[in-house]
Amino acid sequence: MSSGRVEVTKHGAPGLEVIGMSKRFGSLKALDNVSLKVQPGTIHALLGGNGAGKSTLVKCVMGFYHADEGDIVLGPKQVTVKDPREARELGMGMVYQHFTLVQNMTVLENLVLSRGKVPGVIKWQQERQEVEHFMATTPFKLSTDAKISGLSAGEKQKLEILKQLYLNTKLLFLDEPTSSLTPGETEEVLGMLQAMVRRGELTIVLITHRFREVMRFADACTILRNGKFVGTGQVAELDQQRMSDWMIGSDQVIQTASRKETPSGSVKLELQELQAQGDSGVPALEKLTVSVHGGEIVGIAGVSGNGQKALIEVIAGQRPLTAGQILVRGQRYRGTRREIQMHRLNCLPEEPLHNTCVGHMSVTRNMAMRKFDQKPNRMFGFFLHNGRLRRHALDLIRRYNVKTPSPESPIRNLSGGNIQRAVLARELCEPSEVLITANPCYGLDFHATADIRSQIMEARNHGAAVLLISEDLDEILELADRIFVIFEGNLIYETSAAAADVSQIGQAMAGHSSAEELVHA
Amino acid sequence: MRISQGQLWLNFPMVNAVRARSGFLLRLAESLTITGAALLASVMVFSIFVAIMKVNPLQALYAMYLGAFGTSFSWQVTLVKASPLLLTGLCTALPMRTGLIVIGGEGAFVLGGLFAAEAAHFVPGAPTIIVWLVMAAAGCLVGGIWIMIPAALRVYRGVNETISTLLMNYIAIAIFNQLVEGLFHDPNSLNNPSTYSIGDNNMIGDIGNSQVHWGLIVGMGVCVLAWILVHHTTLGFSADLAGGNPKAARLSGIRINRVILWFAFLGGACAGLAGMIQVAAVQERANDGLNVGYGYAGILVAFMARQDPLAIIPVAVLLGGVHAGKILLATQLGLPNSAALVFQGLLFLFILGAETLYGRFSIFQPQVRT
Amino acid sequence: MSQSLGYWGVPLAVLGGILRLSPPFLFVSLGECLTEKSGRINLGQEGTLVMGAMSAYGISYLSGSPWLGVLAAGAVGFILGSIHGWFCSRPRVNDIALGIAMMFLGEGLAFYLGRGLIQPQAAQLASVNLGWWSHQPEIVAALKINILLPVGLALAVIMWWAFRYTRWGMIVRLAGESTDASRAMGYSINTIRFLATAIGGFIAAIGGAFLSLYYPGSWNDNISSGQGLMAVALVIFARWNPINCIYAAVIFGGAKAIGPALQAAGYSSYTYLMNAAPYVLTMVIMIITCSRTRAWVGAPAELGASLR
Repeated sequence: MSSGRVEVTKHGAPGLEVIGMSKRFGSLKALDNVSLKVQPGTIHALLGGNGAGKSTLVKCVMGFYHADEGDIVLGPKQVTVKDPREARELGMGMVYQHFTLVQNMTVLENLVLSRGKVPGVIKWQQERQEVEHFMATTPFKLSTDAKISGLSAGEKQKLEILKQLYLNTKLLFLDEPTSSLTPGETEEVLGMLQAMVRRGELTIVLITHRFREVMRFADACTILRNGKFVGTGQVAELDQQRMSDWMIGSDQVIQTASRKETPSGSVKLELQELQAQGDSGVPALEKLTVSVHGGEIVGIAGVSGNGQKALIEVIAGQRPLTAGQILVRGQRYRGTRREIQMHRLNCLPEEPLHNTCVGHMSVTRNMAMRKFDQKPNRMFGFFLHNGRLRRHALDLIRRYNVKTPSPESPIRNLSGGNIQRAVLARELCEPSEVLITANPCYGLDFHATADIRSQIMEARNHGAAVLLISEDLDEILELADRIFVIFEGNLIYETSAAAADVSQIGQAMAGHSSAEELVHA
Repeated sequence: MRISQGQLWLNFPMVNAVRARSGFLLRLAESLTITGAALLASVMVFSIFVAIMKVNPLQALYAMYLGAFGTSFSWQVTLVKASPLLLTGLCTALPMRTGLIVIGGEGAFVLGGLFAAEAAHFVPGAPTIIVWLVMAAAGCLVGGIWIMIPAALRVYRGVNETISTLLMNYIAIAIFNQLVEGLFHDPNSLNNPSTYSIGDNNMIGDIGNSQVHWGLIVGMGVCVLAWILVHHTTLGFSADLAGGNPKAARLSGIRINRVILWFAFLGGACAGLAGMIQVAAVQERANDGLNVGYGYAGILVAFMARQDPLAIIPVAVLLGGVHAGKILLATQLGLPNSAALVFQGLLFLFILGAETLYGRFSIFQPQVRT
Repeated sequence: MSQSLGYWGVPLAVLGGILRLSPPFLFVSLGECLTEKSGRINLGQEGTLVMGAMSAYGISYLSGSPWLGVLAAGAVGFILGSIHGWFCSRPRVNDIALGIAMMFLGEGLAFYLGRGLIQPQAAQLASVNLGWWSHQPEIVAALKINILLPVGLALAVIMWWAFRYTRWGMIVRLAGESTDASRAMGYSINTIRFLATAIGGFIAAIGGAFLSLYYPGSWNDNISSGQGLMAVALVIFARWNPINCIYAAVIFGGAKAIGPALQAAGYSSYTYLMNAAPYVLTMVIMIITCSRTRAWVGAPAELGASLR
C-alpha cells in the first residue's frame, strides 16, 4: 500500500492509515501484517467473516489492544494510542455491537457521563439545555429524560452514535451497528450518517458482514480473511461476487446443504397459543401458534428481542409458560426427561457453552447429559456406569472429530467450534424426531457453519420436524421450507420458501401492519 | 502469574505424557498446590501477627503443631474436634454442588443436637441402638428441614440462600436457648441451663482404649457415602448439572428444584447428625456447649475441600488440629482462644482468595492432542 | 416505669430504644449501601462493626478522646474494606463467601486484640439532651441522643445528594449498573469498587464506635450480635436509597427495642425469641420483596448476579 499523506476534510474529519499491523493472542495470530487506508470524509467498510480480524484491527487502533507491530497515521501525523481515552482525545470513537448504555439512567445522564470530564457537582438544568441545543444540530432526536430501558433498539443505536458525536468524534468506528436493527431502522440510521459524511463532518469505518450495507452506503471497502489483508477497492468498482470470493477464499466454496424432496409428514410439533413473560415481567410471547410437520424446516425470522429468546426457552423448559401448550406428536409436552427420550426431541440453542453445557464438567459428562440415567448407563437403580459413559464419549469424539486433550478435560477448555461439535454429537448421534434450534451458527467460523447447516438439513431429510429460530435471514432463506416472521411475541407473516420475498419479510420484521393481513389471507 | 510454555523443564517427555493423559491427576496437583500455598500464606501472616504480639512465631507454630499432632493424646483431641467438622462440612459442601452457598450449618447443628437429645426421651428404656436410631432420625430430620427451608425460599421465591441461612443461624440459636431454658429445661441444671440427660447408658462409646468416640467413624463413613452419591449416582450427576448450569439442566429435563431441595435436605441432615453425635458422644445433654462454632468451621472445611466429600476428611482433621492446637497455645504461650479464630479467619480468606489462581498455571493445564 | 406514665411507658421505651439502637444500623447500612451501589456485596460488615467497636474503645481508652476513637474505628473499617475490595477485584473470587471470611477474621481480631479492654472504662461520646422540657425522668432518659445520630442522618442526605448530583456519585452508580459502560467510558471498575468498599467499611465501622462509646458503651465479645449481618437486608429494604436507610434503621432499631421494652413492662417470657425479632423481620422482608421471576426493583444491575 502506498503511504502517501492522508488529508483532513475542512470540517476536521481525518483520514486513517494503518500500516503493517500484527497482533498475536497466545498461539493465535489474530492480525498478520494488515494495512488499511481510509480517505477522509468517506464511509469505509471493513468486511470479513467471523474471526477475520476486523474487530481486532479496530480495537488495536482504538487502544483496547496493543498491536505487536504496525503504525497508525491519523490525519496528517503518525500517532500511538495507549488506551481508549487517548483515542477519544484524538477524535476517534467506537460504537460497539452490544450497547454500552446504562439501562437505569436517562439519556441525559448517559450523555453527560460519557463525556469523561464531568464537573464535580453537576448542574442538571444547565446540562439539559446544552444537550438539547447540541441535539438540534444533529439529525437525531431523542427525549433527554427518557430512561434507556424504555428505548427501542433503534433509538439506543441512535443514542450510541449521538454519544460519539457529542464527544466530538471525527473518526467513527461502527462494529456491526445494524445487527439488532430492522431494515427500516438500518436505512434511517446509516442514511443520516451518510449525509454527515457527505458534508465532510465525519469519517466512518464500518465493520460488517452484510454486502447490502456495503453496496448501499460505503464508498470503499477492505476485506480481511483469517487475520490477513486480502483486498481493497472502491465499492463502485467492485461487485458482490468479487467481494464474496475475497471473503470466503477460493478454496472454501459454500457447501449448501442438499434439500431432498420429501413428502410432507404428519404434524410432529405444535405450539398452541403460547404465552410467556419476559425477563422484566412484560409479555414476551403473545398467543404464538405454529405447527411443524415431519420432514420440513420451519424458519422463524425476526429482529432480536421480539420473543425469540422466550420461545426457545419455553420449549427447552427454561422458562415457564403462562398460557398455551406444546404438543409433540399429538401429546402434551412438559419437557421431562421421559418425554425428551420418548419423542427423541433435541435442542440446539445458540452459544452452546452457555446454554447446553456445564463448562467445568468433563467432555465425557457433557456428552452423557442426555442418556446418563438410562439403562445400561444406570445400574442397580441409581448408580452410574462411569466406564460406559467414557467409552460412549470416546466413540463420539472420534466420530465427530472433536479436538480435546482427553475425555476428562473440562469442556470450556475446548474451542468454540469443538464445543459446538461436541453438542452436535450428543444431540444428533441418534436420529431425531423433533429438532429445535436457535441461531445455531452464531459466532462460528465458516466451516463449522456449513457443517451445522448440513446436519440440520440431514435431520430434516430423515423426517425430523425442525423449528429454526434465527436472526440471520440468509440462514433462514437457505434452510427453511416455510418462513414466519416473529414480531413482539407473535408470528405476523408467513410465506413458503419458494415464494419468499426479501423486501416483504423485511417489512414484516419491522412490524409493518400491511404484512399482517398476509397471515390471515 | 502465567508460567511460560517455553520453559525447558516443562518439555520433558514424561511431564508431557502425564499432562496429556491424566486430567484428574493434574487437577489434584493443582488443588493441592494452591491450597498449600494458601495455607502457607496464612501461616506467614499469622506469624507476623503473633510476632507483633511479642510472641515468637516459631514457638507458637510449634506449640500448635504439638497440640494438634505432636503426641498420641493431641491426635486424639484433634480427631474428637474433627469429628463434627466432617459432617458440618458436608452441610455446606453438598448444597454447593447444586450451586447454593449454604452457611446455615451452625443452626442445623444446634437444633439437630437439641431435638436429638429430646427425642431420646420418646423411647424410654428402649435398647441403646433404638435410642441412637431415634436420636439420629430426629437430628437428621430437624437439620434437614432447617436447611431445606432456605433452599425452598431460594427456589420458589428467589431469596438469596446465603443471607437467609446466616440469619437463620441466629434464629436457630434463639429457638435453642428458648427451649433449653423453657420447654426442654432440666430444673436440676441451674447455672448451666440444659435439657435432661440422655442417660449414661445411651452414650456413644470410645474406639478401643482411645478417647476418640465412634462418631468419628460414622462421620468418615458418611463422607464416603456422600462421595459415592456425588460421583457415582444419577442424583449426583443431576446435582452437578443443576449447580453447573441450570439452563443446561432444565434443557435436559432435569427437575432441578427437586435436586436442589434433596441436596439441601441431605446437607442439613448431616449437620443435624453431627449435633446428635456431639450430644450422644460428648455432651450427654443439649446446652450452650453445642453452640461453639462447629457449624461455621464447617463452611471453611467445605471451601477448603472444594466441595469434594472425600477431601473433607483430611481437611476436617487439619482444622480439628487448629482447634486442638489452640489449647496448648493458651497454656504454653498465654495466647487466648481467639488467636485460633484469627488463624481460621486468615486461612479462610486466603483459601477463598486463592480461587483466583485456578487455571492460571499452564503446567496444570492438559495439552491438546494434535 | 409504668407507674408514672401508665401504658405510655412501652412506646416511650421503644422510642428511646430507637434513638439508642438505630444509629449502628444506620451507619452500617449506609456503608453497605455505598458498597452495593458500586456493584459489590460486603457480607463482612459484621467483622467491620466489631473491629470498629473494639478499636474505638481501645483508642478512646488510651488517648482519652472518644472522637479519636471514632476516627480510629473508621480507619480500621477502611483497612478491612480495602482487604475485601482487593481480594474481590481478583477474577473468580466470590464476594459473598469472602465477606463471611472477613466477618470471621474481623471478629477473631477484635476478640483477640480487645481482650484487655473488657475491664477498663473508656471515655464515652457526649450526648445531647432533647428532653430538657420535661420533668419526667423517663422522658429525659429516653430523649437523650448522641451526636453521631445527626451525623448519620446528615450523611444519609449527603449520600443521596451525591449519588444524584456529583461526578463521584454518578461514577459509583455507573460501576454498579454496567461494567461494560464503565469500561467504555474509561473508568476502572476495580478501582471504583475498591474505593466504595473501603469507604463503605469506614462508614460501617463508625457504627461500631457508637456501640462501644455510647450504647451499650462498653466492650465485650457480644457487642454487635449480628447487626452487621443485617446490613445487607437493610439495604435491600431501603431499595438502595440512602434516605430509605434511615427508615430501615428506625424499623430495625424498633424491632430490637421492643423486646427489652416489653420486658421492662413486665412481659418477661420468650425473651430469646423476642431478641430474634430483627432476624425474623429481615427474613420476612426478604421473602416479601424477592421474586423468582424478576430482579429487585431499584437494585444496581451488576448486583443481580451475585445476589441471585
